[in-house]
Amino acid sequence: MRVVVAEDLFLLREGITRLLQAHGCDIAAAVGDGPALIQALLSERPDVAIVDVRLPPTFTDEGLRAALQARRQVPGLPVLVLSQYVEQLYARELLADRAGGVGYLLKDRVFTDDQFVDVLRTVAKGGTVMDPEVVAALLARHSRDAPIARLTERERDVLTLMAEGRSNTAIAQQLFVSEKAVSKHCTSIFAKLDLPPSESDNRRVLAVLAFLNS
Amino acid sequence: MFLGLYATFLTGWMILMFFQVIGNDYYTLYSGRGLLAMNAYSDWFITSIGSGVVRDVMTSALIMAFGVWLVPRTIGVHAGLVQRNAALTSRVTRLAETRGTAVDSAAAELRRLERDLHDGAQARLVALGINLRAAEHLFKTNPDAALALVAESRVSSALALAELRALVRGIHPPVLADRGLADAIRALALGSPVPAEADIQLPGDPPAPVESAVYFAVAEVLANAVKHSGAGHVHIRIAYQAGMLRVEVTDDGHGGADPAQGTGLAGVERRMSTFDGIVAVSSPPGGPTIIVIEVPCALSLPKICSS
Repeated sequence: MRVVVAEDLFLLREGITRLLQAHGCDIAAAVGDGPALIQALLSERPDVAIVDVRLPPTFTDEGLRAALQARRQVPGLPVLVLSQYVEQLYARELLADRAGGVGYLLKDRVFTDDQFVDVLRTVAKGGTVMDPEVVAALLARHSRDAPIARLTERERDVLTLMAEGRSNTAIAQQLFVSEKAVSKHCTSIFAKLDLPPSESDNRRVLAVLAFLNS
Repeated sequence: MFLGLYATFLTGWMILMFFQVIGNDYYTLYSGRGLLAMNAYSDWFITSIGSGVVRDVMTSALIMAFGVWLVPRTIGVHAGLVQRNAALTSRVTRLAETRGTAVDSAAAELRRLERDLHDGAQARLVALGINLRAAEHLFKTNPDAALALVAESRVSSALALAELRALVRGIHPPVLADRGLADAIRALALGSPVPAEADIQLPGDPPAPVESAVYFAVAEVLANAVKHSGAGHVHIRIAYQAGMLRVEVTDDGHGGADPAQGTGLAGVERRMSTFDGIVAVSSPPGGPTIIVIEVPCALSLPKICSS
C-alpha cells in the first residue's frame, strides 16, 4: 500500500511514517504543508493519503481543503483525514461527493495501531470510516422526522458500526450475531433510507451520508 | 460646537472690518480724485462715512444685530452642550460597568481554565509520568505488570487529550478559527441534539472578539433551548445590515424563558454588553421563544472557504 502522509509536526509525521513502515506500507511522500500535499497527491497518486486537517501556511483547515481539492481532480482518491477534533461539518464535506474512500478520525486513534492500519486499508479500498465521536454525536440527536428514526435499535447499532468503517464480519463479531443476520439488517437499513440497489460498498457510503444528514 | 461659535464670531468681525475699509476707501478714492464733486449729496454721504457719523451708527446697529443674532444661538449651543455632557456621563458610567464585568468574567474564566487544567490534563500527565517510571522499574523483573502499566498510560494519555480538546473548544472553537463565524454556527447547528437549522447571510467577517462573543452567545442560547424549552426544532438566523449584526434564535418549545432566572441569558447579555450589543427575549408561555441579539460592528473581507 503506497501512502502519502501530510502532517506538519515533525515528530508525529515521523511517528506515523515509522508505524506504517512497520506494517509494511510504502511511504510515497511525507509532507508538511497544504501546497506540498496537493502536489504529492496529484503526482504520486497514492493508494491512500493520511492528512492532518490543520496545516501550514494558513494553519486553518488547509489539509482538509487540499484533500477536497485533490479529490475534485482525482475523484475517489482515498483520503484519511486526522484531526485533534472532529466536526460533523467537515465529515459532511468529505462525504459530499459520494465517491467513498474517506476516513475522518481523531488523531489519538493512531495510538491503537492495529485498528488504525485496518482503517487505512478500509479507506484505501473505497470504504467510509467516521470517528466514533462523530457517530456518537449523530446518535445523540433526537430528530423525529428523519428517515433514521424509522430504524430499529438493532439497525441503528449496525449503522453506527458501519459508519465507523467495520465490515459485516466485524459487525457480526461485535454484536454477537451471525454475518447473515448483519447482512439482513443492512438490506433493511438501505430500504428504510430509500437507497436504491447498487454495488454494496457504495450503498454503505450513502447510508453513512444519510446518517450524517439526519 | 466650538468651531461653530468661533466661525460665527469671525464672520461678524469680518463684516465690521469690511464696512470700515469700504468707508475709508471710498473717501480716499473719490474725494482724492474729485470725481463726485458735482454731486453734493454723494459727497456728503461719503464724507459722513469717512468722518464717522454714519459709520458709527451703522457699526453700532450691526453690532446690536449681531448680538441679537448671537445670543439665542449661544443659549442653544449651551443647552446642546449640557445635553451632550449628560449623554457622555451616562456613556462613561455604562462603559465602566461593562468593562468591569468584562474584566471580572475574563479573570473568572482564567481561574476556571487553570482549575480544569490542574485537576484534569495536568493531573493525568503526572500520573502518566509516575506509571511510566514504575513500568521502567518493572520492565525486567515483571514484564507483564510493566505492560499493563504502559497500556494504562496510553488510556490515560487519551483521556488527557479528550479533556484538552474540550477545554480548547471552550476557549476558541477550532472551526471558528478555521472558517469564521458562519461555518462555526453551522457546525454548532449540526452538532445540536435538537435539530437546528442555520440561515446565515454575512457579506464578511466580524472582528475576532465579536465573532467569538456571538459564537458563545448562540451556543448558550442553543444549549438553553435544548435543555429547557422542550423544543423539537431550532432556527438560527444571522444577518448584517447597516453596521449591525443581528442574530435571531427561534425555538418551537413551550416558552416561558426568563432572563432574570438562571445565569444563561444573563451571561449572554453580559457578554454582548462589552460590545454595546443588546439581547431581547420574547418567550410567552406556550412559546415560541425568540431571542434576538444585536451588536454593532464592521465586517472585513470574508475568509477563503472551500465550498
